[in-house]
This record gives sequence, C-alpha cells and structure tokens, in this order.
Amino acid sequence: MSTTPPTNRPTEMLEPHAWGGMSFQERMATAEFRIHHEPHIVVDGSVCSDCSTRECVVACPASLFVPTSDGGIVFNHEQCFECGTCYLVCNREGAISWNYPEGGHGIVFRRT
Amino acid sequence: MSTPTLGLDCDVIVVGGGPAGSCAALVAARAGLDVVLIERGPFPGSKNMYGGVVYPRILDSLIPEWWLEAPIQRWVTRRSTMLLTDTQAMTVDFRSEAWGRPPYNGATAFRPDWDFWLAGHAEAAGAQILTSTTVTGLIRDASGAVVGVHTDRPDGDLRARVVIACDGVNSFLAKEAGLYTHTDAKHFTLGVKETLALPEEVIDERFNVRDRQGVDIEILGGTSGVNGGGFIYTNLDTLAVGVVLKLPALAAQKARPEDIIATLKAHPAIAPLVQGAELKEYSAHVIPEAGLEMMPKMTMPGMLVAGDAAALCLAAGIWLEGVNFAMASGMYAGEAVIEAIKAGDLGSKGLAGYERRLRDTFVLRDHRKLRRAPKLVLSDRVQHLYPAMVANTVERMFRVDNPAPKPGVRRILREERKRAGVKLSDLARDGWNGFRSFG
Amino acid sequence: MTIGSIVACLKWVAHPGEPNDERFAGMSPADQSALEFALQQGAAMGVGVVAVTVGPAGAERVLRDALACGVARAVRIHSARPMQSDDVAAAIAAVIPDATWVWCGDYSLDRGSGSVPAFLAGRLAAQQALGIISVSRSADGVIEATRRLDGGRRELLSVAAPAVVSVEGATAHLRRAGLAALRAAGKAPIEVVQSSTPAAPYDAVVHPYRPRARALAAPAGDAALDRLRALTDAGAAVSARGEQVTLEPAAAAAKIVDALKSWGYLA
Repeated sequence: MSTTPPTNRPTEMLEPHAWGGMSFQERMATAEFRIHHEPHIVVDGSVCSDCSTRECVVACPASLFVPTSDGGIVFNHEQCFECGTCYLVCNREGAISWNYPEGGHGIVFRRT
Repeated sequence: MSTPTLGLDCDVIVVGGGPAGSCAALVAARAGLDVVLIERGPFPGSKNMYGGVVYPRILDSLIPEWWLEAPIQRWVTRRSTMLLTDTQAMTVDFRSEAWGRPPYNGATAFRPDWDFWLAGHAEAAGAQILTSTTVTGLIRDASGAVVGVHTDRPDGDLRARVVIACDGVNSFLAKEAGLYTHTDAKHFTLGVKETLALPEEVIDERFNVRDRQGVDIEILGGTSGVNGGGFIYTNLDTLAVGVVLKLPALAAQKARPEDIIATLKAHPAIAPLVQGAELKEYSAHVIPEAGLEMMPKMTMPGMLVAGDAAALCLAAGIWLEGVNFAMASGMYAGEAVIEAIKAGDLGSKGLAGYERRLRDTFVLRDHRKLRRAPKLVLSDRVQHLYPAMVANTVERMFRVDNPAPKPGVRRILREERKRAGVKLSDLARDGWNGFRSFG
Repeated sequence: MTIGSIVACLKWVAHPGEPNDERFAGMSPADQSALEFALQQGAAMGVGVVAVTVGPAGAERVLRDALACGVARAVRIHSARPMQSDDVAAAIAAVIPDATWVWCGDYSLDRGSGSVPAFLAGRLAAQQALGIISVSRSADGVIEATRRLDGGRRELLSVAAPAVVSVEGATAHLRRAGLAALRAAGKAPIEVVQSSTPAAPYDAVVHPYRPRARALAAPAGDAALDRLRALTDAGAAVSARGEQVTLEPAAAAAKIVDALKSWGYLA
C-alpha cells in the first residue's frame, strides 16, 4: 500500500473564471425579463459616433451597449435591469432617451 | 373611506410600491383616506433590488411584532467589516445573541418578498394597489401645483389632492417637478449582485451560524481598483455576493461589473465561502450615495418625495441603510398628508410637517451627522492607499522576523505610511474627518 | 343560472418556473388570446362577454384581469382542489347551458392536456374548433377560423354556433386595461357558484414532459454499423410510413390505437 505524502505547497490562487464557468448569456438568463416589443430606451447613434469614452459600454451591468465597426452603438433593450446607469454615466446630451417600459413589462426580480 | 371631492379620483396617489410607497399608503389609508398606490411592476417588489439587509425597527409602531410574519431569510447576528488587498484580509467581527431574539435588529430578506408583504399591509388598510401601471408624468394646475399623474394605460389620468412620489432612485417625477436642481453621476453608485445557492447547512457551517442566524460582511477593497465596496450576506439557502461601484470610476477604469464580482469571489479570503455555489439570479440597481449633498427639495404644492426618490439612502461605510429610511420617510409623508388634508392646505406650508418630521428624526439627523462619510469612504485614499497601509502594518506586527527583534508599532506605521505614499497631513485630516463623522 | 351567449373560459395557472408562488400566477397566453377574441366578438355583436373560471378564491385574480379588460360579468365556480378535465367541463357546462360561443385557450401554462374544450363541447352538444390561430367574422352565427396543421399547413374552418373555440397562445394580443376599468375591476362583484360536480379529488402533478422509454427488439446485423443503421433508419431511403384508409370514426380510432401499439408508442 502506498500513500501520497501530504504536501504543503500552496495551491494556485483561483482565476476569476476558473470556476462557475458561466457565459454572460447564461448569467443574464438567471433573471426574468418580460419583454415589450417597443424599446423603452433609445440610443441616438449619430450623437454617439464621435464619443471616444463610451462609458455606457463598460458600465451597463447587462452589457446592452455594443460598439459597431462603423463607430456607432447598438443597443438592445430586452434584458435591461432599468437601473439608470447608462444615462447617468453618459456625457453626451441627447444620446440616450430613457424611460421605463410599459407597466408589467421588463425586469422581474425574485431573489434579490 | 372618505368620498373624494368632485373632479378627483381619490385623495392620495402614491407612486411606487417599494418600502416608502407602501408605508405612505398604509399610514394614509389607515386614516380613512382614499389611497391609490401605483406600481409599474407586475407586483410590488418586482423591480426592486438591494444588497440584502433590512433594519425594520421603524415598523414597530406600524406593524407590532412584525417579526412574526415578515418574510425574512435570516436574522443578522454577526457583522463583519473586512479590509482586502490582493493577498491580505483583515476582519473585525462582532456577534450578538440578542440580535437573534425578538425584537431583533437586522435581517436578510429578498426585496420582491419584503416589498410584496409590506404592500399587502397597505392593501389590507384599504389602499388600492394598481400594478403593471407606469406613471409617465405629473398633472399640474395653473399655479403649478401637482393635482395628479398621467399613466401609460388607456384613459390613464388620475387626479388626487396630493401625490407622494416614491418612484425610486431615478425619480422622474421629482425631476419633472424641478425638485432636483442637478443630478450628477458622481452622486450615484451601481450595485451589482449575485444570488448564489448553497444548502442551508453548508451556509451554517461556512459562516459559523445556525438556526436562521445570519452574517453581514462589508468589504473595503476587493473591487479591482474601482472606488466602491463589496458585500456578502447570508440568506437561508443562498448568499448575496456583490459590489457597489462609484459610477464615474467604473466607467473610467474599463472594468466590467461582473468581472469585478468574479475577482472578489476569487479572493483567497472569499473563495472558500462561495465555492461551489450556483448562480440563481444576477441583478443590478443604482444607489443614491451622496446623502445630503444630492437631496432634492422634499415637498412642493401637491407633492412630497420619499425614499430613494428623495436620495434618503445612508451609505456611510460601515452603515449601509436604505429600506429603513424609505419606510420612515414614507410613513412621515403619510402622516404629513393626513395633517395637510385635515387642515385643507396642500401647499408647501400645509405639507411642511413632512420636512419637520424628517429633520426631527433619524432620517435627516443620521444624514447630517454622517454627511462627510460617503465622500470620505469613497475617496481615493481610503479606497486605494489605506487598505494596503493597514494590512501591511498588521502583517508586520504579527510576522516573526527572528533573529531580528520586533519593531515598534509606531515605526511600522511610519514606514508603511511612507511606503503607501500617504502624507501625514492627509492622514491626519482624514482621521479627523472620520472621527467627526463617525464619533 | 343562465348566462349570456359569449363566454371566455379562463384558468388561473402557476408560472412554470415558480409553481408555488402566487405573484407569478396568472392567465396563460392562450387564455389571453381567447379572451381577446371573445371581447372582439362581443363588441361586434353588441353582446357583453362573460368570463368563467374554476378554482379557489385566489383564482378570482384572472376574473379581475378580465373585468378590467372589459368583460361584463365574471363567474367563479368554486373548487378548492384541482379537478379532472371532464369534471371541469361538466361544472362549466352546468353554468353556461345556453352559451352560443365559448372561447378557451388551447393549453394552459401548467401543461394541461388541452382536453377541457373538447369535453366542454361534448357536454354542451356544441361544435368544437381547436388549435385556432386566427378568426375572421362572416355571416351571423358562423365564423371562419384558421387552424394550424402539421407540416406548416393551414385548415380553414367554418364554425357554426353553438361552438367551443380553443385558440393558441399569442394569436391575439390581449388589450391593455384602461385605468378607470382597472380601478373598477378591483372592486367589482364576482359571482361565485358551487361546482355542480363534487368531483373525485385529483392531485395534479406538474412535471416536465419526457417521452416514455420504449422497449425495442435487438437490431439485426453482424456489424455494429449495420445494427446502428437498423435502429436509426440512417441511410435508408426515406419512405412514407403508414397507409391511407377510409373508416368510420370509431373504427379509425381503433386502427390508430393498433398502429401506435405495433410501433411501440402504446403499451
């Protein structure tokens, strides 16, 4: 019978994504969104085109702002938490028109 | 229930079925007023998210023995404040058995549960709750006084003697009414959170609690260099793990919120607590963080503002409270409205009882007392320099460097202060500020 | 008790993801479509629509939703426990014996079998049109309806009253209730009648659909590849299976059952 001697070597620090291994889509799928066909937030791409800082892209917790190759921004309203981060961090007047979705639609939290 | 005057649909419109709105509606309805509470979600609480701990003492007067029925997850009996660097952790831990017995102190709870429960009390008191209805604007008379609201339903106008706006952190109503002179991203933080499933007994074991006792851990550092803080709260069979991030800092540092949580969860001091937990719900919400500095005017003819809509959220480092401020401000708004309707004056003068109540109670007194705290806690020095300074000092205090003799604590502090790049004058000023804020 | 001619049968069902949480319960998409069709027909005919549900007091929430959308009357047939489809149909039929148009959702959210409309048509001796995806009005007492068939085909039906029409979800978008109607619906009276069928207790079990396993004879063939082909038909020329016969309904049903047995779908 052989036994492996215990080692005292430190284990590697876990990488942020070493466990959990969840895609962003799977993360967003944990929240329920009752989607309304009309977008409650509208982004005016013409105002965005000369914005180099793109605060909305990095700050939106649902990652709904996606830069396009032609320098614009594509926005997807369907998985919006309705938090307000995007219009608060945006420093271009008129780029984001922000409203709440029609009553009964949008995010429905359960365990938070 | 009173019969509203001709041309009015009801006495009081409350906008928003969160803790402020439900308490306002509860108080006004109990006084016999005809109250309509309008909630844009499919049920009260469905749009609401927070870190995870509620301190319901203020409910003692509204719902005696609320703890027998409130939908709580665990009673907080342990409070830890943790300071993190990349490789170090220092924790101050307190526990009290008293907080696990009536009348209790704080509890973890899910907002969709808590707010729904509270709204049920407002309904039982006679308030009518209209869900799935978004308020889109104010109706004002020729003098500018608020006399009702527009909603997004067909024939959606509703008129009342007075409107209580409890429409949350984005409060479009307070903005439309001009009660906010400005809103600035630097006054807000973004809270992002994961609700992570673990078996109840695993949570009991990892967090050293039992019998529905729970833990509240506030974390300084561990937010990937973005000014803010982290938290871990124990629910019954889930954990709430998240971060609160200063908006301009988040946008400037190009760090994604979910990556910042992932890095926090991977910290050697945190990873063993959350290992193997499955994500049940990812959520986010904006927090009004700047206290007095950002608060709007609280009343105008025909309207009052309460809860997050009035920026009544206390974010003072070791004290992170919002729901209790919301419930109290809603309650006081309800009381002031009863008074004003009795007196027949819904102008600024008639509604002045609201601000008086806020000023005379913890709602504004705590904010005044801690007015310097939010800025201090989110300042660059507290965020980026002090954690390493403190952690390195403590590490050297407890490190045994034989054959070298132990150095004096003062010498370590001096050296670590210099190494961290902290000026003595700044440290003294922050220390004095901290003392004035928290002392 | 006699009730008007246009009836919408609505069921209060739990959300599949939150089966024990009343905050997530409500009308299924198919029932919403049925209600909308009923309201449109009621408006065209100038007749008030009656909404009917079977269930405990909590089920009145669907009736209040229906009242807010414009139904004239709401009736709850009291039943504290879930009932078998035929018992539900019998209870409803007893309350609406003179109905000319009965609108139902095809399937409820909680994975019902979609059999209540069929039982109901039987009980009312009415025509039945199921799986309807669109409706266009025609002469009095007759509607033209489109039904979805397999393979992307459509079938046009001419349905004469009295009829039970069951519609698929998302075929008609339920109107948004007005504010005053919503307020009034919260306080409107709801008629409650006792179920005429004190049905045998039946505990509905909700579980995800899984095809049943079926036993197959070991495939013939010496090589593993041959056996695999025999099992899966892979590589075989695609051929139509089955035969076309003309039979009386009872004989046809027996034939179908025999075929399903021989193919292993039925025990």
